[in-house]
Amino acid sequence: MDPLTKTWGLLVGLTLATTLLAGFEGAAAGLGILGLAFLKARLILGRFLQLAAAPGWLAVFAVPVGVWLLLIGVGYAIVLR
Amino acid sequence: MRVDDLPGELILWVLIASELAVFIAGVSVMVVLGLLDPQGFAAAQAQLDGRMAALNTLVLVTSGLFAARAERAAQAGNTGAARRGLLLAALGGVIFLIVKGVEYARDIQAGIGIDSHPFFTFYYLLSGFHAAHVIAGVFVLALVAIRAEPAPVQAGAMFWHMVDLVWVLILPAVWLIW
Repeated sequence: MDPLTKTWGLLVGLTLATTLLAGFEGAAAGLGILGLAFLKARLILGRFLQLAAAPGWLAVFAVPVGVWLLLIGVGYAIVLR
Repeated sequence: MRVDDLPGELILWVLIASELAVFIAGVSVMVVLGLLDPQGFAAAQAQLDGRMAALNTLVLVTSGLFAARAERAAQAGNTGAARRGLLLAALGGVIFLIVKGVEYARDIQAGIGIDSHPFFTFYYLLSGFHAAHVIAGVFVLALVAIRAEPAPVQAGAMFWHMVDLVWVLILPAVWLIW
């Protein structure tokens, strides 16, 4: 399987996992959905936008996105606690 | 880490970073309002059909695969394959817009307007602004498919991947977590 098809397969799998998790209620499901969103974003940045081949640049984009999703998750977990 | 290492034109990365910042700001405001009214946001979100959003995610990531393949084909000098990939990616965008249109029509028929609840104000603004980018992306993909030369094809594909990226980031707050 070529790398692009593999990336697409992973994105489809993460999307299906997201759909599955959306059927559950509670903070854990919400945090899981946010984590899956980060993994999808990282795959798109790294593989489709090819930042994985540009030393250091994937982190420049993925880390702020990850921190932002983490902050949403923390706020969400505190409120729904 | 050097700027020259970035794939494609630097200006496209400036555009991607800017668009990410705009959507992140919008979603952040929505999330803050949602944290102040989690029950209201949950009740509002429950009126949306998450299956449509899931379907559109599958459509967009598949479309992204075609755009990425078109980019690689153009770099390899395979103009025909690049053109086919771009047109399939654009077709994905059109399908996305049709699904979105059906979703909006159902929402409006159900009496859900932009001022029904703060949740729906952000729902329409964020998803509508994203849909505007999809429309622009479809035109860009069709335009660069005419000659299918490597640099324009790469630029078009990068714009399309940005549209894909923004979608996966607005999805949780708009359709899933409340």
